[in-house]
This record gives sequence, C-alpha cells and structure tokens, in this order.
Amino acid sequence: MAKPFGEVMVELAEQDPRICGVSCDCWGFIAPLSERFPGRAIEVGIAEQNLIGVAAGLAVRGKIPFALGMNPFVTMRCFEQIRTDLGYGRRNVKVIGAYGSGLMYAGWGCTHHAMEEVALMRLIPGMTVFMPADGYETEQAVRAAAAIEGPCYIALAGGELPGQPPEDQRRFVPGRAVRLREGSVATVMACGPTVVDAIRAGELLAERGLAVTVLDMHTVKPIDRKAVGEAAATTPLIITIEEHTVIGGLGSAVAEILAEAGSATPLRRLGLQDVFAIMSGSHADVKREHGITAEAIVAEVMGRVGA
Amino acid sequence: MGSQHEALIADLRETARQIRVNVLRIAGMSDCHTGGSLSIADLLAGLYFHAMRVDPKQPDWDGRDYFVLSKGHCVPALDAALALRGFFPVEALTTHLEPGSIISGHACAHLTPGIDASTGSLGHGLSVGLGIALGVRIDRGANRVFVMLGDGELQEGSNWEAAMAAAHHKADPLVAIVDRNHYQTGPTEDMMALEPLAEKWTAFGWAVRCIDGHDMEQIVEALDALPFEPGRPSLILADTVKGKGVSFIETHHMAHFNAEQLEAALAEVGAGAVRHG
Repeated sequence: MAKPFGEVMVELAEQDPRICGVSCDCWGFIAPLSERFPGRAIEVGIAEQNLIGVAAGLAVRGKIPFALGMNPFVTMRCFEQIRTDLGYGRRNVKVIGAYGSGLMYAGWGCTHHAMEEVALMRLIPGMTVFMPADGYETEQAVRAAAAIEGPCYIALAGGELPGQPPEDQRRFVPGRAVRLREGSVATVMACGPTVVDAIRAGELLAERGLAVTVLDMHTVKPIDRKAVGEAAATTPLIITIEEHTVIGGLGSAVAEILAEAGSATPLRRLGLQDVFAIMSGSHADVKREHGITAEAIVAEVMGRVGA
Repeated sequence: MGSQHEALIADLRETARQIRVNVLRIAGMSDCHTGGSLSIADLLAGLYFHAMRVDPKQPDWDGRDYFVLSKGHCVPALDAALALRGFFPVEALTTHLEPGSIISGHACAHLTPGIDASTGSLGHGLSVGLGIALGVRIDRGANRVFVMLGDGELQEGSNWEAAMAAAHHKADPLVAIVDRNHYQTGPTEDMMALEPLAEKWTAFGWAVRCIDGHDMEQIVEALDALPFEPGRPSLILADTVKGKGVSFIETHHMAHFNAEQLEAALAEVGAGAVRHG
C-alpha cells in the first residue's frame, strides 16, 4: 500500500534536514511533519501568493519546501509568484496540488476545476510537472521531486489503478511513460485522473478484438518524447485524454512533438474543448458531457478503424 | 563615544552621497528609476555600512543578514551600495545594458553578487523575506532579514498576506522598511490612499517606528533598536523624498537625463569629490 503524503514527508524530512512543508489551509497534509519536527511545517492561511513567496524564501535559506494548496488555486492565484519567485529564481520548491486535480470537484462548479493546472505549470522554464494517477505514483513522484534540484509541481492522487502488479513490481521513472497495455490499433495517452479511463477503454476495445497501447504519462514535463515518437511510428492514431482544457496540457505537449517531428499520425485530443464545464452533476456526469470518458476513446478508435 | 558616533554618522552620510553619485551615473547611461533609487540611498547606507552583517568576499555566507529589495526597480541604488561595500568593482556599475554585464534592469540574483532574491514585480519581496526568516528560525540562526518596500507597492494585496503571516508567526528577525516617498506614477495618496499607514501596520501586529528616511541619526537609531519588540516583526516607516538630492527631479517617476541635466544633477550631489573603488 502506498504511504499517505504526510507519512512520506516525515520520512523524507528524517533523511534530509532541508525538507520542510508550507500549507495554504492544507494543514492535515503536513500535521505529521509538524508533530515530528515542530517548526518545519508552516501554515500561512488561505493566501496562495504568500504561500509561494514564503516557500521561495525558505529555499533562499537552503531549505526544500513542499508548498501545498488546492490545485486550481495553488496554480492560478499565485501563478506569477511561481513563475518569478520559483521559476526565474530557480528555487528548489515543490508545489503540491494537494486536492482537486482536473475535474475532481466537478459538481462544485467551475471555480474549483483545475482545468489549466498542467498548462500553467508546463509554461514555466525548469519546472518538472508530475500528474500521478494513483497512490503509488503519487508517493513515487513525491520522492522523485525531493531528489530533483529545482521547482516541481505534483497533483496528488490517491487510490489504486486497476489491474496493476504488486507495488514492488511497478516502476516509476520520472520522464518515462508507463506502458499499461500494448496494441497496434491506436495509442491512448493519459495523465493523472484520466489514466483510469484509458485503462477502461483498453479493456472495452479488447472485448471488440481491438488492441490499443495505453500510456500513463505521469510526467508531463519533461514529457517522454521517445514514447510519443514510438507511438507515432507504430500506431496509426494517437488519442490524448485529460481532465483539462485541450489547450496547453498533455494533448498540446504531444501535438508539439508530433508537429515538430513532421509526423502524419492523426491526433485526437479529448478534454474540455475550450469551454468551461458549466453544469450541475457528478464527476462522471461532467466527464460524460464533455467526452472525457473511456466510451469517448472507444468511439474515436471505432471511428478510425471504420468498425 | 560622542565623537565616534559623529564620525559614524558623517561616514554614512558620505556613503549615501556616493550611492547617489553612482545612481546618477547609471541613470546617465540608460533609463532607470532614478527618483526611487535616490530616496533609499540613505537607508541603504545605514543598512549595508552599519547594521547588516555581510561578507563581500563570501556573498553566500551562512551567517549573513539578508536583504530583499522588494521595490526591485530601484536596483541602481542597491547595486551602488553593493559595489561600494566591495561585492564587486564600482566600475561594473557603468556597464548596465552591456552584454555580459552583472548589472540588471531589475534586481537579479543570478547576475549580481550580493543579491539574494530577484525582484521587479511588486508585492513579492515581503513574503520571500518572511520565508527566509522562518528558514533561519528552523536553523536557530541569528540572521536578520531586511525587506525594502515601496509605498505605492503596498497597494499590492500580497504584502498584507505576508504582513499578517509575519505577525502570526512572531517573525521578529524580519524587518520591513517602507520607503514612503509619496509618489508612484503620480502622487500616491491621490492614486490610492495608504493613510493611515503606520496604524495599518500596527493593526497587522507589527512594531512600528516612523523616521525621516534621510536623517542618518534617525536611521542609525532605528536600526540599532531592532527588533523594536521581541516576538513582533519590525516596520520602519521612512518618510522620504523621491529624487532626494537632485532638486529638479524630485517627485519624478522616471528621470531621463540629457548630458547637461546629468552634469547639473551630479553637481547637486557633489560628484566632484567621488571616491573610486
């Protein structure tokens, strides 16, 4: 079982005295750190700009702060602090989207949709962007981020992806996609909360005798260019799926690589099609309405193979 | 004792004058925020030549006092102070805009020795300073952190997030200095009133002292009295004049000098007696 974020922080802090935590109203995530090392966990209240500035200052002093806030707010409200104090400053700060990745808070309204988190973080020179898909990948991303010198963003995830081998047989290498399924009909690339949809689509298509490759792109920056190149070379269709606007996120990152490589492989980007998801409903309802589902992937593949 | 003190004050005044001369030299080469740089010259002299523990030979010395120029556009004055303090040669100041120069248009920690935080976008510095202070607390260090804020800059809400948090965390190694020069692109009180300013900081939990930011006696007295209250961050509200020292640019937002004006400005700050290096 993957360890909860708070426990991983304590472990990392025991190994490295530079590790500390800063919370923007996310105290529960760093309360264990505070219990173990009082003073190394700092609450700043509901104030994202100050969160990032304080984290930058801690890094000036040589610390490795993990700065936590809710995904839509910790990437948007303080974007300029992240860009200038962390990016331009080259500060060794880990920005943590602690809860509310993608459309997790679908029914709570558009203010709470983190539909730009990848695009915004990807914009910043030197920023590593992790979109883990479950608890195991989250723990691995947190450990990897602690070892990376420079700013990182992690959208925390929980639970367990279906059909995975035991954790000691899984591998998480920053910047390297995880191949969850092999097939030649199409490649489906997903990150964070949509990896489960891609897995499900792979199963549905297999039932129809169509084998697709499914890639878990847990590191969106630096993206696994080799995996994208291989997908373009070995499958006649690439589909990206994300709980994110299709502008600037995973789909864009893949499109940039394909275009620059002169690839003729068609690309379909599933996600919010340059719209806000203004509607009432559950997470599943909002995803269905906007075509961010396993069924939407299946429809894309069926459309291409003419079945 | 009395004469020692008088010598110190005289020395610091002379240093402030030299900072002004060098600001004007930089201004003579390229557009810069001359007025806001001249208004902090005396405060910087007091900081870098009296109060702050720094080692120009080791800019990253662990025991140093930190300085964050939140009003990063006034970097000419900081560059001048750093050069005069020995962080780099004074000659480097007049290389602004030359490729390879260590002098930047806004404070840049990557280019300029002695600068701890890159600034230029207003409203960032106080949070960064607070973070440094909290990092120092983790290390049980004795370092202090000085943050220079502009008055117009205080219209950025992020300052008040930091002000609130600094008091909450009882960050008494943190010292903010407000360069209250009363002008942004226009008169500050007309554009967005800040008064009652001292009361605002007091209400946010800071220990406040108001001084004349050009009176070296008052500057030294305030810096020597830090922290003003144990368990509270300190705020020096320094009343200043934008463009101080050059009568014909006082209150100007940005001064553009022609050769004749530059000569006149340098004459006003007594540039004839400049010390080199």
